[in-house]
Amino acid sequence: MNRIASLLERARSADPDDRPPNILRALHAVQAALGSVPQDSVPEIAAALGVTEADVAGVLLGYPELRTRPPGRHVVRVCLGESCVANHCGRVLKEVEKKLGVRLGDTTRDGRFTLEKIYCAGNCAASPSVMIDEDVHGRVAPASVGALLKDYR
Amino acid sequence: MTGRLYLSQDTSARAVGADRLARAWAKVPGLELVRTSSRGAIFMEPLVEMDGPHGRIGWPNAGERDLPGILQGENGTPIERIPYLAKQTRVTFANAGVTRPLSLDDYRTHGGFQGLEAALRLTPQKIVEEITVSKLRGRGGAAFPVGLKWQAALETHADRKYVVANADEGDAGTYCDRMIMEGEPFRLIEGMLIAAYAVGATEGYIYCRYEYPAAARLLRDAIALLTEAGYLGDEALGSQARGGGRFMLEVFVGAGSYVCGEETALLQSLEGKRGMVQAKPPYPAVSGLYGKPTLISNVLTFATIPAILARGGAWHASLGTEHSKGTIPLQIGGRVKQPGLVEVPFGLTLEDAIEEFGGGMAAGARFKAVQVGGPLGSLFTKSGFKTPICYDAFARAGAILGHGGIVVFDQETDMVELARHFMAFTADESCGKCTPCRVGSVRAREILDGIGLGRRRPGDLELLADLGETMKAASLCALGQRAPYPVLTAIEHFRKEFQ
Repeated sequence: MNRIASLLERARSADPDDRPPNILRALHAVQAALGSVPQDSVPEIAAALGVTEADVAGVLLGYPELRTRPPGRHVVRVCLGESCVANHCGRVLKEVEKKLGVRLGDTTRDGRFTLEKIYCAGNCAASPSVMIDEDVHGRVAPASVGALLKDYR
Repeated sequence: MTGRLYLSQDTSARAVGADRLARAWAKVPGLELVRTSSRGAIFMEPLVEMDGPHGRIGWPNAGERDLPGILQGENGTPIERIPYLAKQTRVTFANAGVTRPLSLDDYRTHGGFQGLEAALRLTPQKIVEEITVSKLRGRGGAAFPVGLKWQAALETHADRKYVVANADEGDAGTYCDRMIMEGEPFRLIEGMLIAAYAVGATEGYIYCRYEYPAAARLLRDAIALLTEAGYLGDEALGSQARGGGRFMLEVFVGAGSYVCGEETALLQSLEGKRGMVQAKPPYPAVSGLYGKPTLISNVLTFATIPAILARGGAWHASLGTEHSKGTIPLQIGGRVKQPGLVEVPFGLTLEDAIEEFGGGMAAGARFKAVQVGGPLGSLFTKSGFKTPICYDAFARAGAILGHGGIVVFDQETDMVELARHFMAFTADESCGKCTPCRVGSVRAREILDGIGLGRRRPGDLELLADLGETMKAASLCALGQRAPYPVLTAIEHFRKEFQ
């Protein structure tokens, strides 16, 4: 696990000396490199940062976008914001669940997709929205879901 | 075929095919494609434009095969004659759709840095007075007088002060901050620079939500360009006037927590901690980030500052209604015909927003309800249509303007399901600090689950009302205090559906 230690050293260098370590920044760095922040790495992270395990666990579990397990190759986020709800995004979600064969929060067996919800992709004037990785797709109709997913291998 | 065309690179334009057009047309010889910000008329995206003899000419909802016609100039619409745009009062979004987001030249030739230059000719106290005269109120939702905040940060003595832009635009139905960050990041940063000079801050952060990766990238690029150009860094512009001369700016990305849009939770998160709401006072302007005076406002508020300094506080105070001065970018969405961003002076009625700008209902949709102010905003029916869009009228109606989101629901919307959705959202996003919010939201969702499944028990609606009152009275932040409103207004207007 030397990798985590060196990652954290780099993250620590962004913190000015007179400030306590920025745990969220450190966990972002770990996740960017490893795909997730495994729960069993918490003691090592805490030791490297000089904080308690409780501090690290509190941050790790306090943010939906910090993951303790790596997601599939692509993360599909169906927007459940109000404008999407008004545009009946439930129908889009149902179609995505059908096409992928998984429910919200789950990963397809081949590891290709993880399906999640998002409370607003900020694309409200082109609802309903589906965000796949960093791409936002707008005016998504249930019938266009299949074609949309095809581009993400 | 030769010519220069303009096409937006805003996330919403890309979400409906702008990049597809750009890819398809990339190899066309002699064609120069300029990627700009978006005009905010998202229903027209992808909107392709070309220079005409009297301003730009546009082709809304352009497709790949329209290129030959566009290059011939066939059937284009002069942009200035599009009523949706012509009827707006564009100030903060004056350059939307016109300029390239990362071109300093474009920014300068379209009024950029005039506010900063005006500010640098004033003393910090005079700048704060200009903001006070403008009667600007915080645009993030709380509508706190900005001048008071700046005065407090200016008067508090400390060895270090911070300026923080709240770019955690989490209210569903809103995207004006995203459009500023993606479309004209320099305007936001100019506002932050003016604020830093006024209160004596040497460091700044833009706390950008995780869901806006394009905005975070653009901001980082903008900061690099401004550092190179001498506006930011160890020897920032105006250094002589400010003594120290240092203003460092950094983008910090959150991790998907809604409550981090609340300022005290945001500052906790910026320190790298769990995003938990803190009791006030002390207010951040006195004791904020790392216990230092911190001027924190949302993106739109900072982006409003340059125009106020360039044109004067009195000019700003001449727009709008008695207690709501200036303009507000409304973000009209849901089941309307013309969803998009509309910047107008305060005072327009809800009806005009929906009918005149929203264009009425989309094909096949009939109006049922409208929610204003994001997921914590109240629902209105047509009986509330004459309500003017300003802080006072909304406060009188027990409602909020929030961040200017307007979402219209149609006849197919199940109000019980919608109410359940609101409470599920609060249950998901409650930070847990206040028991009424943490427990109340889950209980309310459970009750609404039951009603949705046809298992309503006697006293359920009374219990919901009681839970709502407790949450309103005993929660620290707007999430717990406001979460009951959409549910209770849904019950008030559509009681039959809950029985």
